[in-house]
Amino acid sequence: MIERHRPLGWLVAREILRIFKLWTQTVAAPVLSAFLFILVFGLSLGGRIKQVDGFDYDIFIVPGLFTMAMAQAAYSNNSSSIFQARFDRYLNDVLAAPMRSWEVNLGFSLGGAIRALAIGAGLLALALPVTGAPVREPFVLAPAVVLVLVLFSCLGVIVGLFAETFDHHTFVNNIVILPLAFLGGVFYSVDSLASPWQEVTHLNPVFYVVSAVRYGFLGTADTSIVLALGVTAALAAGAVAWSSWLFATGRRIKP
Amino acid sequence: MNALELRGLTKRYDDGLLALEGLDLVVPAGEFFGLVGPNGAGKTTLISAVCNLIRVTAGEIRVFGHAHASNAARRLVGVAEQDINLDRFLDVEETLVYHGGYYGMSRRDARARAAEMMEVFDLSGKAGVRAPKLSGGMRRRLLLARALMHEPRLVILDEPTAGVDFELRLELWRYIRRLHSEGTTILLTTHYLEEAEELCEEIALIRGGRLLARDSAAGLRDAYQADSLADVYVKAMAR
Repeated sequence: MIERHRPLGWLVAREILRIFKLWTQTVAAPVLSAFLFILVFGLSLGGRIKQVDGFDYDIFIVPGLFTMAMAQAAYSNNSSSIFQARFDRYLNDVLAAPMRSWEVNLGFSLGGAIRALAIGAGLLALALPVTGAPVREPFVLAPAVVLVLVLFSCLGVIVGLFAETFDHHTFVNNIVILPLAFLGGVFYSVDSLASPWQEVTHLNPVFYVVSAVRYGFLGTADTSIVLALGVTAALAAGAVAWSSWLFATGRRIKP
Repeated sequence: MNALELRGLTKRYDDGLLALEGLDLVVPAGEFFGLVGPNGAGKTTLISAVCNLIRVTAGEIRVFGHAHASNAARRLVGVAEQDINLDRFLDVEETLVYHGGYYGMSRRDARARAAEMMEVFDLSGKAGVRAPKLSGGMRRRLLLARALMHEPRLVILDEPTAGVDFELRLELWRYIRRLHSEGTTILLTTHYLEEAEELCEEIALIRGGRLLARDSAAGLRDAYQADSLADVYVKAMAR
């Protein structure tokens, strides 16, 4: 059984090697920038903001920043790794190898998930002692994190397969994911928004992703945890189905 | 036993280009087989189809009796593509070791085989150098070493000597000949007619995705009543 999936193990190992060869860019920089947000917005300016949902501001922003850092890492790792592999054509070395299409998909997807976990762990190691943020619902946090990793890893794979230039992959990160994360309640509670912005926020898919993770940390969120997990799971399922279809049919991978 | 069997192989790209049209081809095991034709003849498409790098429109491909998409078939094929397509993040040794891993080798076996390949291809001194920093000749050798890492029974070489200097070409010929003498089936595409004549037991002429003729160099000269393979080529392509 292990021998049968050894090629998959090697593909995952290659993705991990790539991440850690570039660790200052791939892990250290995102941890540092997320931690700086906590220091600057939470500890420095946060003193001027009264409590949000019963928590000090520096604690309130930890789950959102944790989610945003992991989501961006999972996405950008996979989109750039696959785009480079396509662009330089060394993807062919993997496509010709005795691996099933789902193994190739999984191998690339796990790379982003592992990088995101490394960033998440690094950020928590710095942020939890500094802010004292709690983990009140670990059995909600665990599936929420898994769904975030699945959703954004697969999204990275899909964009990596569709991107024609390096700009396309950065476009989705800078113009889609980042604004949606900022407007999805990373830095504020949507309850503080006036109508119609509160209702509009509920159309933002990243709002549910942030809410699911925030509930895992703080035991409270801006929407029902069932709805937050349900929407995140549905988005993740859609992303898995799409990337699986692309690999199974060879579209966007093989001419 | 045939190393490669193509039956009615057709490939039409998404833009409508018909690169291969109902192509039939059999390459017996152990043969040194050459595929010669102009740019756009379908040589690289044929190779890409065998190696699962493109979606085949119609037809059947079997490698030593196995369906080409099966893992059993994939393990038996090694390919060195025309363009240098080396992983920019890996050094020479990692390129070989990871390739071995993709083909199911254990870390220990892959490292031992990589050391052997680096020795054979004179790459040992560059083991820790990343591919983009290698010279063109070194990259070409690494490409060939990578294709041979998992000890394939069918080695496909797509214009392996294109753009290399005369010395390296002779060196690569030597490697390829040795490989063939050890029983490996070779499918070689080339633009160089003297290369095909020098190395190949049988040569197929291909144009517009169709096979025009196949025979030994001498057989082709007889069939086309030509003095040289170059004359054969000119006559065949003009028809």
